[in-house]
Amino acid sequence: MNHMIPTPGTEPNAATSPRDWLDDLLDSDARDERSAYIGDEGFTARVMQALPVPLSLPAWRKPAIVALWAVALTGISLALPSAALDVLREGYRLIGAQPVSLSGMVGALLLAGTLSWTAAAYALRTS
Amino acid sequence: MSSPEVSDAQLIARALVGDDRHAFAELVRRHQSSVRACLRKLTAGNHALADDLSQETFVLAWRNLKSFRQEARFSTWLYRIATNCWLADARKRKEELLGDRDETLGDAEADDTIGGGSAHGDHAGSSALKLDLERAMAVLTEGERAAIVQCYHNDLTHEEAAYVLDCPVGTVKTHVLRGKQKLKLALAAWAPTET
Repeated sequence: MNHMIPTPGTEPNAATSPRDWLDDLLDSDARDERSAYIGDEGFTARVMQALPVPLSLPAWRKPAIVALWAVALTGISLALPSAALDVLREGYRLIGAQPVSLSGMVGALLLAGTLSWTAAAYALRTS
Repeated sequence: MSSPEVSDAQLIARALVGDDRHAFAELVRRHQSSVRACLRKLTAGNHALADDLSQETFVLAWRNLKSFRQEARFSTWLYRIATNCWLADARKRKEELLGDRDETLGDAEADDTIGGGSAHGDHAGSSALKLDLERAMAVLTEGERAAIVQCYHNDLTHEEAAYVLDCPVGTVKTHVLRGKQKLKLALAAWAPTET
């Protein structure tokens, strides 16, 4: 047994706490029960059946969402052709027409690397 | 399938990362005996209830596997879940349990103490002593019983028992001492006579 001796004075019988017949009885009982392995007898199978069913999304879900977005965007561009054209033009002006410098690309790569390493370190942290 | 040298930590990682149910099944197979034995002790020998609670324990372990941070052994973590399941169930059945306990106490009071065997060593006496110990354990409060089961039956240190019972180490020591005092009173007839 690996019991710690209680601090003297904290309990009525703590001043002297030698092992006695009850310790021996409890230890012997525990030893007997530990040595008696309980056979599985279908227990693991019952547990596995009781586990919650994994959430599996239907295969048609992703294409359906893409199709809905496509329909929605087509509908908007047909209903408001000038607005859709303005959005496209501004988007190109903001992103596509910007000159890309080497230093800018290196900076962006460094930033992305730092962010992903930090996220990985956070995710893999242990106690 | 998992070979014997695969550690619990590796199986847990597989279950977590790949949602590998076979790895979790191997963990259940490895630990079912100790968890069921612990709950049989806590439920004072009610095997059917102990098995129901064991099943609940493993289902909860699967659901909360992500929160297992390896700060304790996997078996100790399972004991913690098992003890919580038993405590929650005991709270639900409090009224019924109190009735049973009164009955047990009534029987015990009628005889002064539980049992009354004399010889240690003879097989029939030893079996009677174990039965009396089981009856005496049922007299303890939930905290006392849980502390004694964790410290003696599961052979945990007081610190590990404190983790399992989610209480300070001092409380575990107090529960163990008080529980032992009650057991000594209940099993006084079995105490060796002073020469």
